[in-house]
Amino acid sequence: MEDPYSAEGELINIHNHFHQGQYQEVVDFDTSSLSAENAIPARVLQLRARIALGEAEDVIADVQGESDPALEAVGALAEQALGTSDAAVKTIEKLAQSAADNATVQVLGGTVLQAAGKSEEAVALLSQHSGNLEAVALIVQIHLQQNRNDLAIKEVTAARRWAQDSLLVNLAESWVGLRLGGDRYQQAFYVFEELAQAPATSSVRTIVSQAVAELHLGRTEEAQAALEQAMRKEPGFAEAIANLLVLTVITGKSPKELTSSLEKVDAQHPFLLDLAEKSELFDKAAKKYKAKAAA
Amino acid sequence: MQANSGMLTKFESKSSRAKGIAFHPKRPWILVSLHSSTIQLWDYRMGTLIDRFEEHDGPVRGVDFHKTQPLFVSGGDDYKIKVWSYQTRRCLFTLNGHLDYIRTVFFHHELPWIVSASDDQTIRIWNWQNRSLLCTMTGHNHYAMCAQFHPKEDLVVSASLDQSVRVWDISGLRKKHSAPTSMSFEDQVARANANQTDMFGNTDAVVKFVLEGHDRGVNWVAFHPTMPLIVSAGDDRLIKLWRMSETKAWEVDTCRGHFQNASGCLFHPHQDLILSAGEDKTIRVWDLNKRTAVNTFKRENDRFWVIAAHPEINLFAAGHDNGVMVFKLERERPASAVYQNTLFYITKEKHVRSYDFQKNVESPTLLSLKKLGSPWVPPRTLSYNPAERSVLVTSPSDGGSYELINLPRDGSGAIEPAESKRGQGNSAVFVARNRFAILNTSAQTVDIKDLTNNTTRSFKPPVGTSDIYFGGTGNLLIITPTAVHLYDIQQKKSTAELAVTGVKYVVWSNDGLYAALLSKHNVTIVTKTLEQVSTLHETIRIKSATWDDAGVLLYSTLNHVKYTLLNGDNGIVRTLDQTVYLVRVKGRNVYCLDRSAKPKILHIDPTEYRFKLALVKRNYEEMLHIIQNSSLVGQSIISYLQKKGYPEIALQFVQDPTTRFELAIECGNLEVAVEMAKQLDRPKLWTRLSTEALAHGNHSVVEMCYQKLKNFDKLSFLYLTTGDSAKLARMAKIAEHRGDFTSRFQNNLYIGDVEDRIQMFKEIDLYPLAYMTAKSHGMEEECQSILEATGLTEEQLNMPQLGEPLAPPKPIVPTYQANWPTKATSTSFFEKALLGQVEGLSLEDEPSAANGLGLEDAGEDDVAAKRNGTLVEADDEDAAGWDMGDDIVPEVEEGFVNVESAETGGAGSSEADLWARNSPLAVDHVAGGSFETAMQLLNRQVGAVNFAPLKPRFLEVYQASKTYLPAAAGLPPLVNYVRRNIEESDPRKVLPIIPRDLEYLAANDLQRGYDCMKANRLEEGLAIFKGILHAVLINAVGSDSEVEEAKKLITSAGEYAVAMAIELGRRQLGTQDVVNQNPQLLKRSLELSAYFTIPKIGVPHRQLTLLSAMSQAMRAKNYNLALSFANRILANGGSAKIMENAKKTKATCERNPHDAVEIEFDQFAEFDICAASHTPIYTGTAYEECAFDGSKYLPKYKGTVCAVCEVCEVGKHGSGLKLFA
Repeated sequence: MEDPYSAEGELINIHNHFHQGQYQEVVDFDTSSLSAENAIPARVLQLRARIALGEAEDVIADVQGESDPALEAVGALAEQALGTSDAAVKTIEKLAQSAADNATVQVLGGTVLQAAGKSEEAVALLSQHSGNLEAVALIVQIHLQQNRNDLAIKEVTAARRWAQDSLLVNLAESWVGLRLGGDRYQQAFYVFEELAQAPATSSVRTIVSQAVAELHLGRTEEAQAALEQAMRKEPGFAEAIANLLVLTVITGKSPKELTSSLEKVDAQHPFLLDLAEKSELFDKAAKKYKAKAAA
Repeated sequence: MQANSGMLTKFESKSSRAKGIAFHPKRPWILVSLHSSTIQLWDYRMGTLIDRFEEHDGPVRGVDFHKTQPLFVSGGDDYKIKVWSYQTRRCLFTLNGHLDYIRTVFFHHELPWIVSASDDQTIRIWNWQNRSLLCTMTGHNHYAMCAQFHPKEDLVVSASLDQSVRVWDISGLRKKHSAPTSMSFEDQVARANANQTDMFGNTDAVVKFVLEGHDRGVNWVAFHPTMPLIVSAGDDRLIKLWRMSETKAWEVDTCRGHFQNASGCLFHPHQDLILSAGEDKTIRVWDLNKRTAVNTFKRENDRFWVIAAHPEINLFAAGHDNGVMVFKLERERPASAVYQNTLFYITKEKHVRSYDFQKNVESPTLLSLKKLGSPWVPPRTLSYNPAERSVLVTSPSDGGSYELINLPRDGSGAIEPAESKRGQGNSAVFVARNRFAILNTSAQTVDIKDLTNNTTRSFKPPVGTSDIYFGGTGNLLIITPTAVHLYDIQQKKSTAELAVTGVKYVVWSNDGLYAALLSKHNVTIVTKTLEQVSTLHETIRIKSATWDDAGVLLYSTLNHVKYTLLNGDNGIVRTLDQTVYLVRVKGRNVYCLDRSAKPKILHIDPTEYRFKLALVKRNYEEMLHIIQNSSLVGQSIISYLQKKGYPEIALQFVQDPTTRFELAIECGNLEVAVEMAKQLDRPKLWTRLSTEALAHGNHSVVEMCYQKLKNFDKLSFLYLTTGDSAKLARMAKIAEHRGDFTSRFQNNLYIGDVEDRIQMFKEIDLYPLAYMTAKSHGMEEECQSILEATGLTEEQLNMPQLGEPLAPPKPIVPTYQANWPTKATSTSFFEKALLGQVEGLSLEDEPSAANGLGLEDAGEDDVAAKRNGTLVEADDEDAAGWDMGDDIVPEVEEGFVNVESAETGGAGSSEADLWARNSPLAVDHVAGGSFETAMQLLNRQVGAVNFAPLKPRFLEVYQASKTYLPAAAGLPPLVNYVRRNIEESDPRKVLPIIPRDLEYLAANDLQRGYDCMKANRLEEGLAIFKGILHAVLINAVGSDSEVEEAKKLITSAGEYAVAMAIELGRRQLGTQDVVNQNPQLLKRSLELSAYFTIPKIGVPHRQLTLLSAMSQAMRAKNYNLALSFANRILANGGSAKIMENAKKTKATCERNPHDAVEIEFDQFAEFDICAASHTPIYTGTAYEECAFDGSKYLPKYKGTVCAVCEVCEVGKHGSGLKLFA
């Protein structure tokens, strides 16, 4: 069977839109002319895009009663997005028994499991893929989240061998690059910049990615410009705010204002949770020390 | 003239209109200036945008690289000429002077000059070294569109919309600005007399020729690089060629063809061609000698605005409405074919020659192909038929043609072909001795022809066929854009198909078993039945390939010769400074053709790939040979061997004990592992070794490990399983000495020593258990004595049911006496060879090789003997190490016993953890989130105890350490770690970024602190200086000299903080009225105002404190005191106003030098101020210090928190603040 996501496949554009973070373009994509066998994959992509756009409740209603495992997996993803993680994990675990060979089940299942903190299960499910780059990218991301850079490198190098110049491999390689650093920063920057600066592929996510690469390269002014571009495009994008906040601190300025706007947008953002934890840690650790005498 | 034939586009960019272009003379870079005001720097080879420069306001039309310096110049519609450094990525300076748009800017080829042409009708020459305008050339009476220096002579040529082209003589300018000696008196006289001045008396640049001929404005003009020729392009759509002599210049001819304004033109740097570009969307190529059109390249939608040539290589670039394109006019790959020891190739003069690899001799011309195709189009391919000694040549001209010609038998005959057969076709290859195939791409047919050029059969190849290659006898390899087909000519069908995109060339191995399919960025190796063997990707373009006789493929990219084995293992053989096309490899020689179609020999070192090949083929003799005869050592080969699963071989190369240990464990070579573990003696290694040895069943090694680890329980169990009851008894003894009852009990259980168990229970007052033990073993006497000792009788006891007494099993085989059975470990052929066990392969003869390779073992006895040796040694050690003596065996350290390797599964450690590991600086621990260790460090270094004030700084540093990369939808962002050493990627060296480093603090916070001092905002100032102290405390610097600077900053901030605190303390005493009414307060107020002048702060600021103290003293009628302040002010010097004030006060005070209020302030004594009490500490009296900021305290404040930094404990000494590792 021909791969519908390959350069000649008919899903290539909608697929790329999705992974470039252009979710509205995915939702607006005209799927009427697609062949029947691609109808479900296209619909899955659109539903996933809607979840990413914050329409998880509508998506649940949309897939209610569907029996296709791919759509069930979408339902689980939507539940996960709404915070009902247990139900989502249950659905996925059931699907992993019955339809583990379904590419969508693998990818969405892997996402849900990883989001629920079940990394090993996620990797086990994803590893059953056969030539699915999305699964590869997710595995890479999970390895990076677990700080197993070695495994991430292995995964991406293997994928590079059979899927040379695909978007997902380029992205995954850039994620790894940003972790490894050195020369790899510049290479990752090129990938993100190419996506972010061409109107056809640009999205707030790629612009932020470009900015992150610049930040790691020490180009604070350029990073600032890119992040401001991202903020103009989507003022409420948490990652843009979080990284701008980091940049603000790096350049010696006060992050107060940005902290409160990040709190408004996403009170559960890893940055804030982490910071609160560290603040507590500080207080606890500081208690161990005391001056011998009172002033 | 067909459009687009032969144009080879190498790079295209999309952007707004491109107005100016410049090639870098050395690197693969091109500068593009855009109508949108941006200047782009592209790497046209990689296709990447390297940089953007945006400082011009409005369109930028002219741009040029300096030939040698890392500089470029640009000129734009903002009337500005900017000179930039592409290294520092910024504009160095701007040359102002033009009064209207600037059209072109060019550097001089040797002098530090720039020439510019502007719409203000002038051409100007600038010196970019001293940034001055040298000369303004007036004369054109409309926009000057273009001006360029002559590449050798002191001439400038310019084009203008006034329809003229002018040639200017600038030799005067050169003389004026050369070294002063260069102009003799005679010269000066001659120059004064020469009637060369223009109407302004300007002799620097004078018009030499005015060329008129265009009847509309002229847009561009250029000199020929070597000949006295000029070419110009104008709005009259004409390209004109001009010639000049010493005294005159005239029009030679006109090239007609553009049907819109011609915007640019130039001479081909190496060939007799002119290139022009126009708004009619075409680039045209003209024959310089005949002035006839050679070629036209048309673009669909974009008008061309500028054209440029690379100074060295065959590359051009043209700017159009939507970007730039970099292109070649013709292919530079010489057509060639190899047969046995002969290379046949076609030279640039279109001569067929041969070259003998063995003799390294070029033949004379065998054949001339002058008449084949157009003179400007080189032949594309050459196919050789050894049976007939004929060649088949294809040329892309005339829509593709081929020619079949017999080579003359002796090379000395006529070189014009006697007879030839020709036809239409795009590709032509011999498929058999008497057959060749012709592909016609437009008709999509393949014809098989015999040697009389008659078609014998014909078929339709797969759709989209773009090329054909020999496919083994009777077969063709048919190339389509997405696949390669193996096509059976007889059956007329495709017998195999492989999906490979963009294949351009096919190279067969010498034995005909494998073929390499080359595309732009990939090499795919296939078998002769088209099964894929391996594939590899290159980011740089792949140019050519050739096989060595052993089956290694060597291929060339733009800048490297590389190799790949059949299994895809590849590496670099050598670098290339120019592009070459490989044709053959033999030994250490790689034969190739360069771009001028000259055979060349490159020398290479094939050791690496030969070694790898031998490894794959398990050809150990060859490997040994290589090891003996080359310098193949080093980390790369070791890690390669290890990675490829040959640890036992890698072991032979390593000397570093740690690596040797790892490798030995990996390949199960316990002797080496033991040897290395002894050398290194680290608990972790012993643990690993014990696990590995256990897996082997080598219990004597396990025993030694456990002994080293003092792992008593495991040791006991080991003795139990090996049946070594003697040692078990000793273990029980040891346990007794250690006072470890559990262990003692355990050991006694193992050996069945009931008495000692009872004895032990008694010792620890567990009489019931002792009684039970005795009872169950039927030891009635013992029972009685226990009863007596406890004063009980048997009746009083409540006894459970007793079972059979426990007796330990007796060993059947005394396993402990011999290391048997151990897991079989194979000694590889290689190892044996290295140990001298294979006949004829001993390394003994070559001692020099052995030395460098860590082969000292080679001459030793056989393996068994060695193993015994290990055992004996272990026993000796046993006796020595376990001598019980009086010493109590030290406590087992918990951490060592159960260290399991955490290498498999689960999460790894993050970079943040590494930071703390990599650095002894507190700040790096903070950034890594390891606040506890950071606090420990600070506590140890400077006695920090009160951390609360440091919290903002801790969190600041921590918050700067990570970024959040949006990755897959639905998952949290990926966290990455921001480094301050961004070039570094070694995990052992990476370090976190530090916000507000020393430089920043000095440039920002410190200045703000000074401002506060000046503006009398002391509360704010105090907070700032304390903030600086906190920021420096949690910081890192890059050198020892910066450590000194940091210390200065700490001292200075500390002094300011003390000063400000003193003055703030004074102000808190109360308002002036309150203070004046209370003598106690007044005294204190005066003291504090005096102490305010003591801290060592900057002189201007000190003056402020002195002024304040002086006026306070005056007000309290303490004239003597005021006088001392006035004197100090005058001594310090400064602004007239302050001086005046001080002088006046001095005069007043001198009249009545008495103090009304007596205070504790001796102006003649040396003293410091206690930072807590704000009272003097006189020199010579005892004091305490803050170990961090150096503030001083009266001894009674020892142990309190420092009032200045608010962090450290006064009087607590530490190892000193560490800011640089």
